[in-house]
Amino acid sequence: MSPPRAWTVWISVLGVGLLIGLASFVYQVSNGLGVTGLSNTVTWGLYIVSFMFLVGISAGGLIVVAGAELAGSQRFEHLNRLAVVCSLAAVATAAGSILPDLGRPQRAWKMLAQPHLTSPLVWDMVVLAIYLAIGAIDLYILTRVPVSRKALRVMAIVSLPVAILVHSVTAWIFGLLVARPFWNTPLLAPLFISSALVSGTALVVATAWVVERVTPWRAGAEAMVGLRRLLLWFVSADVFLLFTEVMTTFVSGEPDHREQLDVLLTGRLAPVFWFEIMIGVLLPVVLLLLPSTRKRSGMLMAAAVLLILGVFAKRINILFAAEFEPLVGLSPGIPGGRPGQLFRPDEVYIPSWVELGILTGMAAFFFAIVTLGVQRAVLLRHDEPAAGH
Amino acid sequence: MRDPISSSNGADGRVSPIEALSEASRAYGAIDVRSAHPRWGMAVDLERCVGCWSCAVICKSENAVPLGLWWNRILTAGDDLDTPATDEHGDPHLHWVPLACQHCDDAPCEKVCPTSATYINAEGLVLVNQDDCIGCRYCMAACPYGVRVFNWGEAEYPVPEGTGMVATRPVGSVEKCTMCVHRLAEDQVPSCVWSCPAQARIFGDLEAPESRLVQMLESRNPEVLLEEKGTRPKVSYLQPRRRRPIERSES
Repeated sequence: MSPPRAWTVWISVLGVGLLIGLASFVYQVSNGLGVTGLSNTVTWGLYIVSFMFLVGISAGGLIVVAGAELAGSQRFEHLNRLAVVCSLAAVATAAGSILPDLGRPQRAWKMLAQPHLTSPLVWDMVVLAIYLAIGAIDLYILTRVPVSRKALRVMAIVSLPVAILVHSVTAWIFGLLVARPFWNTPLLAPLFISSALVSGTALVVATAWVVERVTPWRAGAEAMVGLRRLLLWFVSADVFLLFTEVMTTFVSGEPDHREQLDVLLTGRLAPVFWFEIMIGVLLPVVLLLLPSTRKRSGMLMAAAVLLILGVFAKRINILFAAEFEPLVGLSPGIPGGRPGQLFRPDEVYIPSWVELGILTGMAAFFFAIVTLGVQRAVLLRHDEPAAGH
Repeated sequence: MRDPISSSNGADGRVSPIEALSEASRAYGAIDVRSAHPRWGMAVDLERCVGCWSCAVICKSENAVPLGLWWNRILTAGDDLDTPATDEHGDPHLHWVPLACQHCDDAPCEKVCPTSATYINAEGLVLVNQDDCIGCRYCMAACPYGVRVFNWGEAEYPVPEGTGMVATRPVGSVEKCTMCVHRLAEDQVPSCVWSCPAQARIFGDLEAPESRLVQMLESRNPEVLLEEKGTRPKVSYLQPRRRRPIERSES
């Protein structure tokens, strides 16, 4: 039996995406990071945005598996393996997205050979490795027959604190810097956790929706209704944390902090910020509250996709608000970095085609792992009779 | 021992210009006093700075800083380089802040470096070991002063053979002011200091009470940039002691 046409198309799309990413990466490595839109003012760009985003979106697997296990709920049981596959794909891609950000990726091994223990980047490397291992062990346990409840319970107890650490340490990469008032808030770690819960859960919803449509696998209506309620809780927490951060800074923040916030409220990033609030938060919340969403999974899917876009916008906003307004911003500004560029007082950052190419490759890598995971670990033969219940 | 820049000095067969200096020139650029365990610092006298950029240009030449990058630059209060700020009477108020690495005692860049490529040497200088730099640019995010620059591509120089007295830095690494650590080894002050036509920079050993630097700092109410960030810079700024009242024809 030849594979269906849609499958062939999907695999080709992934293959082309991976090739584009690889070609862009090779081009960047041979020419230096000057081929990106980055500069000495905006030194971190799209690669770091996607790193933050991917670490966050990996939260879904743990919520569904560990959270439900510890809460004694069985309603997400059928989603377990899919959720863990999503997490694994996200963490692996996140780790990979650090590589193109390095000026000398061929020396990345030095981080392992001579780690500097005061660097949050080193802490993050350690917790991400542990997190990846936990996901792999979880998947191993869940694909055994029968699934060992005891093992799951032990893993749940281990993995929940690690998950909280992963998002906190990723936040602290930014949050511990005195040089960037907008990041330097104790609320950054809680904000990263809440955004992770929103995007992670939304990713499980969206993936389940797609897999239900292309395979005989079924998540079950009860699980999807449960996820809808979880999404509402998580997005409420996320918006509350964002609101209290913005409000405190707006009313009583230090001038430097306030200046960086203004980049979002009224400045160069205002379109992205208000997109985040209107299209990425308010619209999906309305969709989730509509009574018909309980029955129509298409609405739930739409809300999940919007929430994911909103969290992506939020990562953009967090990163660039601090970078666009350096603390010592006196004229003529920070040197641009390329020959012929003098100083760039009003730095704009526009990602180059190379960055978009590498991002395309990372997206393809992510979806390839999800596809492989769904094929090998979600659609298990012993499961099929149970499908559709 | 871990100063890569000083140890690689001369590796490409260049003769240090210090060798070629006359006795008198050497004496002019000599470090005044050096204690048993020096901790190098600098003061910038804003009363004397005329904003001429000499120090910025000689720094580029001395340290082979590629086109597009600067280790040292002169900031101006006001909208633009040629549009100075105005005082309360609307008159031009010229005020410059020469800015390079502040060589902080509590350097945020050093703490975040994942490979210890950025380190603080025994004499208190914040330096980058180019062998260990992986180019993550975390130090650039962490530096409150924005004085670190990155090698975005193959370095270009105004003359093909380059200008510097130190080893050049590879593509994909971060670089910044070294306080001319290669000159300190020859008992000479950094090149921005001896080249300043207004003698606005004072370099010296913070551990030597009799040094001119320590005496200036004691007599002139030094300020450091962004003191509230707790970075404890070893570069201080001496504010002008008096403002000459501007003669106003009307009123």
